[in-house]
Parts: sequence; C-alpha cells; structure tokens
Amino acid sequence: MNIFLELVHFLQAPNELLRWFIDLLGSFGLPQWILAIISALIIIGTVIGVFLGLFALMSVMERKILARAQNRYGPNRVGFFCWRLCGLFQPVADGIKMITKEDLVPRTADQVVHLLAPVVMMIPALMVLAIIPYGRDMVPADLNAGILFFFAVGAGTEVAVFMAGWASNNKYSVLGAMRAIAQMISYEIPLVIAAIIAAMISGSLSPSAIVAAQGGFAWGFVPQWFVLTPWGFAACLLFYIAALAESNRSPFDLPEGESELVAGHLTEYSGFKYATFFMAEYIGMFAVCGMLVTLFLGGWQAPLPFLTIIPSWCWFFGKVCFVAFTMVWVRATLPRLRIDHMLAFAWKFLLPMSFAAFISAACWHYAGRGPLAWLLSLAIVGIPYLVLGTAFSNRFAVSRRTYQFSE
Amino acid sequence: MTLQILLAISAILFAFGLAATLSRSNSIMILIGIELMLGAANLNFISFWRFSENPSDLAGILFAIFSIAVAAAEAAVGLAIIILVHRRINSVEADDASNLKG
Amino acid sequence: MICDFLKTCCADPVNFLGDWFVLLPAMVLLLAGGAAVVMRNLIHAALCLTLSFIALGIVFIALGAEFVGFVQLLVYVGAVAMVIVFAILLTKPDQLTKSGSAFSGLGPAGGAAVGLVALVALLGFIFTSPLAKKPLPAPASAPVAEIGQALMGDYKVALIAIGVLLTAALVGAAVLAMEDKS
Repeated sequence: MNIFLELVHFLQAPNELLRWFIDLLGSFGLPQWILAIISALIIIGTVIGVFLGLFALMSVMERKILARAQNRYGPNRVGFFCWRLCGLFQPVADGIKMITKEDLVPRTADQVVHLLAPVVMMIPALMVLAIIPYGRDMVPADLNAGILFFFAVGAGTEVAVFMAGWASNNKYSVLGAMRAIAQMISYEIPLVIAAIIAAMISGSLSPSAIVAAQGGFAWGFVPQWFVLTPWGFAACLLFYIAALAESNRSPFDLPEGESELVAGHLTEYSGFKYATFFMAEYIGMFAVCGMLVTLFLGGWQAPLPFLTIIPSWCWFFGKVCFVAFTMVWVRATLPRLRIDHMLAFAWKFLLPMSFAAFISAACWHYAGRGPLAWLLSLAIVGIPYLVLGTAFSNRFAVSRRTYQFSE
Repeated sequence: MTLQILLAISAILFAFGLAATLSRSNSIMILIGIELMLGAANLNFISFWRFSENPSDLAGILFAIFSIAVAAAEAAVGLAIIILVHRRINSVEADDASNLKG
Repeated sequence: MICDFLKTCCADPVNFLGDWFVLLPAMVLLLAGGAAVVMRNLIHAALCLTLSFIALGIVFIALGAEFVGFVQLLVYVGAVAMVIVFAILLTKPDQLTKSGSAFSGLGPAGGAAVGLVALVALLGFIFTSPLAKKPLPAPASAPVAEIGQALMGDYKVALIAIGVLLTAALVGAAVLAMEDKS
C-alpha cells in the first residue's frame, strides 16, 4: 500500500522522483558535480524524448485529422508486425524512409552552409523547450527573463531559414527564404507584444511566475486564466495567429507551398536534412503551443479545484495537444494566404490589435480589475476590432458572383 | 579574468571593425565594420558594469541597451540608403558613388 | 530544476566553468569578427558577423548582464543580421563570387596598419591606466524588474527619446527603400 502511495505521489510530481533518484546516487558517494551533470542529462533526455515522441505522433495524427476533415482515412496500414494499430507506426516508416534516402546536394551549392542550416534550425527549436513549465516545479531552467530567452533564441530560426535558402544556389529557394523571413519578422511583433501583455499583468518575465499569476479560483470554481479576460482572449488569439505564421503553418505556409515555390527554402534538401527541418518545425510548433498554454491558458493549472488530482503535467500536455489539434483543424479549414495579403494582415490588422490589447490590459489593471475595468477593457479591444475588421472586409470584399451559361 | 583582458578583447574587436571600415570597398562590408565597432563599445560598457563597486547602478547596462537600439536603427537606415544608391548607380561599391568627384 | 541541481553542487552556477565561461565565447567572438573582416564572399562575411553577434551575446550573459545578452541576441541576430542579409540579397545576387578587388582606399595593408595603430594605442591605455586595475567583485545580477524600474524611473526621458528615434529611423528607412511608384 505504501509503495502504491509512493507511486501515485511520484506520478503527481516526477521532479520528486528525480530528486529521490539523485539522492540515491548521492548515497553511493558520487561527487556533487557528477550528480549535477547526471541530473541535467536526465532532464534533457526526458524533455527531448517526450517532444520527439510527440513529434512522431503529431506527424501521423495530423495526416489522419486532415484526412478525416476531407472525408477520407489517413495512413492506416503501418502497424506493428501483425496488428494494424490504426497506422500509428507510420512515423517509423517515415523515419526509415528519410534516413535511407539519398542526400543530394547541388554541385554549385555552398556545401558548408547547406550542411549547417538544418543544425542551426534545430538548435533554437530544442533550446526553447528549456524554459517552459511542464508541471508544478517542473521547469528545466527557471530563468528570470524566460520570455525574453524564448524570443531571443527563436531569432536563430530566421538565420537558419536564410542559410537554407541561400546555400541551395537556387532562385526559388532564395525567393522562398526571403518571403519566409519577411513573414517571420512581420509576425514576430504581434507575437512578442501578446507575450508582453501576459508578462505585464503577471509582473514578471519568468514563465513559472506567469503560470502562478493565473492560479487561484474566482468565486471558488472559475479559473483565473488570462484567456478568460477580454484582453487575454484578444492576446491569446493574436499569439495563436502569430504562432501559426512563425511556424510556417497553414494558412501562412506560402514559404513551403508546393504549388508556388516548389518547396521554398527547402527545395534542395532531401533525406535526413529534410527530416531535421521537418522535426525542427514541429518541435517549434509544440514549443510555441507550450508557450501559449503557459501565457494564456494557465499552464499546468487545472480548470476546476477538484480536478487537481490529475497530475499537473497531464493538464499541461493535454492543453498543448488541444492547441495543436486546433492548429491542424485550422490547416484543414482555411486556404493559403497570398504573400501580400499575409503581410498586410500582419502590419495593418494584427499590429494595431496588439496595441489595442496592450492598452486594454493596462486599463484593466489600473481601473482596479473590477466590473468597470472589465467593461472598459472589452470596449478598448472590441471597438478597434470592429473598426479594423469592417475596414478589412470592405477592402477585400468580393463582388456578387454572376454566372453565365453558354446558350 | 581581469578588467584589462576584457577591455583588450574589446579593443581587438574595435581594431577589426576599424580595419574593415577603412579598407573594404563594398559599402555593406563598411557597415559590418561599423557594427563590429559598436559591439566592441557595448562590451566595454558591460565590462565596466561588471567590475564596478556598486553594480546596482545600472547605468552601464542601460547605456548598452540604448546603444543596441541605436545601432539597430542606424543599420536599418544605412542599409536603406545602400539599397537606394544601388538603384541609382547599380553598384554597392563605395568607390562607384563618385558623381561629385573632382 | 537544472538550475537547482547546479546550485546545490557549486556556489556560483554561472562560474561552473570558471573564467572560461567568458573567455571561450570571447575567443569565438574574436575569430568570427576577424573572419567577417577578411572574407571575400559577402554572405559568408555576414554569417560570420552573425556568429560574432551570438558570441557577444553569450559573453554578456556570462558576465551577468543576462537582459542585455538576450536583447543583443534578439535585436542584433534577429533583426540587424537579417537586414544586412536582405540588403545583400537585394543588391548583389549575381556578383557574390565575383573576385574583383574586395579592398579599396587604404587597401588591406593600410587598413591593417591603421587597425594595428589603434589597437596598440588602446592597449597602451588599457594596461597603464589605473582605472582598469580593478579587482573582480562578487557576481552581480541585474534582475529585469530593476532594469524596468530604472528605465521607467531615472531614464524615462532616454526611453522616450529612443522610442522617437526608432520610429523616425524605421519610417525613414521604409520611405527610403520604397519603390518609386509614380
């Protein structure tokens, strides 16, 4: 019975399990610095293992969800020996294919930069996983300026995209890389401002402090997540849309659109290098979903007080998977945006809306966070949204469709 | 690690930037040299902050932050000018912008 | 958690590597800066410059000024390097491997000579000045909250001036680079 309680406790708080293990190793007389290195390696290995597993699962689940949205089945053949398992072993087959494919590099391509681009893309994607709080007391590196670290390291992705595009010595690659970088830079501003809104109200740039600021329950059962406030809802939507654009996902996937630019900056990549780019993109997507959950959806907090028996990391990964599911849903639903529409949307709609959300959050705080503050913040967010929304929809209005049949 | 070593590193970086600005013909390389010099100056600020007696006086850090912001603005304007000049004379070599010469 | 475990094993987690936490990125910085100056291929020079910016950011973080280090990475690597690269792509896409003379004016020897003179002068000042003979104080930290308080407190005029400057510079750059649609 005692062992059972211990197991339940370790399930609730895996960091206690790690601490017990390190104490066990310490009792064998290992010096402190070896223990520190072992603990760091265990944490790093766990995080990378979990996210690579999520990446593998996501790659097949995305295809299946897109397929069901299009009224067909996705991959459902690859299984484990004699069991089909609904095709969930498809990533294994994809991985074997990617590894065994011939790695073609154009003769006139810049060999060193072409080789380094996937590496430089992967490093920021993995590094940002260090500051996300996965559960109660479960953040690998509790930095004082964690949000700033997230964006600073994310800037490395743009360098990698440019390196990939230019090193391929291919006009379409360069064009695709320039468009991808323009898109990433344009959407980075609403992304950062939305994150700053959450940091401003929490009073700290540390993700664990932001999650803690969303703790507690109003009236005993309503969670105080930022998404449930007017400015938080606007900021969450802004962050979500900007995150879609930063990850080059539909409807902002023009840089990778097959029908426009072959594969954009990834044209000349095949085999494992392409798999690395693919992996970096998905891990980046999960990282930014994790950041959205941390900033606006309450992180690892449970939505109702009695649901806290479910472990905090379960809530976190459940929320992240839900946000990822909505991203796949959006991909299945919306068509691709043209590059000038995409950039106009970022600069002329998202940027003013992010400023409006910022001012709304500040007014909410300084008006005392009471009912008047809620109404005021709703007005400050809602009125620009209506004005900008009607301005945009009038600009891009389609005329009434007329049909003419041949006689 | 002494202050002198950090200042020496920043001096070497500054010398690199100065050599690039004075000897390269491509105007973008000149800009790269200027950015290196600004980086060296920022390193000086942060080194002096690190070695100061009361580190709660954040003047060094704030100066470095403002310097980074100004460098970003200057890079943007400088590169816009380079693009504009390229449109006119179809070259980015600094020697080719010689309309007012002699 | 990693920070916790690091703190239990050594008193100052930042100095786990000792002085090499600062000196290794500083060596990378000097190598990358030197490479950026002598490279003929402009894109390689820009990429070496990006590497030197990253190394400089790591040096800032290692010296305890984490906020400045992250701002350096965000602004220089994410923005300035990208703008330089864009300018290279928009102005010289065909002549990147043209081996014309990459040096003019003073030439490589002249530039190196002037750099050397400046370096010797600076090193002379550095190693003889009493201002630089300071002992290493205890590791300091500049928490973001304090930087924020200082920016909004003592330095609010500078903050607003920077805002105006950046707005003017970016609007000006956009107007300059805009195509003439007349």
